[in-house]
Amino acid sequence: MARREPRRLSRRQFAFLGTQAVGAVVTVLLGIPIVGFILSPLFHRQQVLWRQVGDISGVPDRQPTKFVVSFPQDEWTAANEDLAVYVVKINSDYLIFSNVCTHMQCPVRWQADLGQFLCPCHGGLYDITGKNVGGPPPKPLPQYVHRIDGTTLFIQNSFTESL
Amino acid sequence: MGWLAAVYDWLDERAAIRSLVRKGLYEAVPVRGAWFYTLGSATLVLILLQLVTGIFLTLLYVPSVTEAWASLNYLKQHDAFGSIVRGIHLWSAYILLFVIGLHMVRTFFSGSYKRPRELNWVTGVGLFVLVLGMAITGAFLPWDQAAYWTAVVVTNIPAYTPFIGSFIRALWRGGDFVGPITLSRTFGIHVWLIPAILFPLIGAHLALLRKHGEFGSYINYRGAYRSREGVDVPPPPAQRPIEPPYPAVPTDELWAAPLETEDFFPFQTFKDGLVSIALVIVVFLLAVAIGAPLEAMADPSTTTYTPVPEWFFLPLDELLLLVPQQLIPLVLVLPTGGVLLLLALPFIDRGPERNPFERPAVMVPGAFAVLFVVILTLLGSGRLFNL
Repeated sequence: MARREPRRLSRRQFAFLGTQAVGAVVTVLLGIPIVGFILSPLFHRQQVLWRQVGDISGVPDRQPTKFVVSFPQDEWTAANEDLAVYVVKINSDYLIFSNVCTHMQCPVRWQADLGQFLCPCHGGLYDITGKNVGGPPPKPLPQYVHRIDGTTLFIQNSFTESL
Repeated sequence: MGWLAAVYDWLDERAAIRSLVRKGLYEAVPVRGAWFYTLGSATLVLILLQLVTGIFLTLLYVPSVTEAWASLNYLKQHDAFGSIVRGIHLWSAYILLFVIGLHMVRTFFSGSYKRPRELNWVTGVGLFVLVLGMAITGAFLPWDQAAYWTAVVVTNIPAYTPFIGSFIRALWRGGDFVGPITLSRTFGIHVWLIPAILFPLIGAHLALLRKHGEFGSYINYRGAYRSREGVDVPPPPAQRPIEPPYPAVPTDELWAAPLETEDFFPFQTFKDGLVSIALVIVVFLLAVAIGAPLEAMADPSTTTYTPVPEWFFLPLDELLLLVPQQLIPLVLVLPTGGVLLLLALPFIDRGPERNPFERPAVMVPGAFAVLFVVILTLLGSGRLFNL
């Protein structure tokens, strides 16, 4: 009686590979939705919103003046988030800055005694035109996308340059 | 007592608890320097304190940008015991960071990370990093001004990673800016993700400790290298066994064993207990006397608030101040490099020598690294608190 050819895949090997396959399938089925879930905010486009800041005719020349504007925070929260807007008038031109430092995004403030914007965290300095002139900030102070209707300022919830 | 023994026997027959208890409690531990060996158990006790208080804090805390601060403010205003629980959570975290650091320094100094205990060290470095992660994510959660600006700065640091920086920042923040998703994610990381890795890793760390026994330190072995005939002559370092097989049971040979050992239970556990109870009392007193602060609610539009980092964040914050704008990624490279070097330590320093004074190649850079962190901390605290 002729002996059978040895099977190329033994029963043990089959079970071994089968167990691995089960693990792989579960990993993929769980992994794809979880990774997609974690990444999904990255593909979520921020809604472009305009808000009225107010009348800026009273802003004195070369004296940055702070306004506060509320924007909705996110899809699911009803609460708004207050953002600071520095309006700088130089002659007849307006520059509309945020208070977000380009170094570590700490809240920048106008220091009248220095004549500069100061970041209190790590001592970043910006001049009145927003240029980063001292300390660690790598970029100028961010400016809001804005429009001025007559003397009323409107800003968009985004910067002219991404941070 | 008869029925207690019967219950014990019943359980032992079904769950083999006798051998488990024996493994957990009976081990020969070096006697000299044993007070230094309490740092590990103190770390464990403080972590368990975190676990217990943390679980109960979730019974009230709401991880939402509109309610996180409000829920903790309610705790502060209306719940004296709850405030103590939060105080214990905060102060035991602070002291934990100290104690885990000392535990690491002790292990480094005594060369206990050498073969065959490399994985004890590697899991320990992992635990250290995870505890730091817990401290940083925990600091976000109150959503007061301090928490909010910590969240802004900390999540912004990875943005300086070359090429994928802003991607990592957006991944943590759940968007370009800190917002509701940032808090949800950080809460999830703090209460589930990190603990899910941390506690199994503690199990591994302890299992490895039992597997290899406590090395102790060099002083436990001075003069202990005896020949099989009992001649008490220490061999030169090169000939010393890489792993001193000191006895786990009294019948073992005493060759290269610690000079003196005693049973883990009750002798070492008593010392462990004393140190731990002292720390727990200190934590409790701080929790009652000072408690956990809660500043005004987060306000992104502020132009008067000066963010002050948590003290354990001071070295990195000082680095942020000192590093010029062209070299900001250094702030990422230095800590990452430090952790990688720590992980690599047992594979770099592989000689059998345990005496800290005969390991200058490791001790000197280690001392400089500690000095560097301490100086940065002092500079940072001097700058921020006008010390």
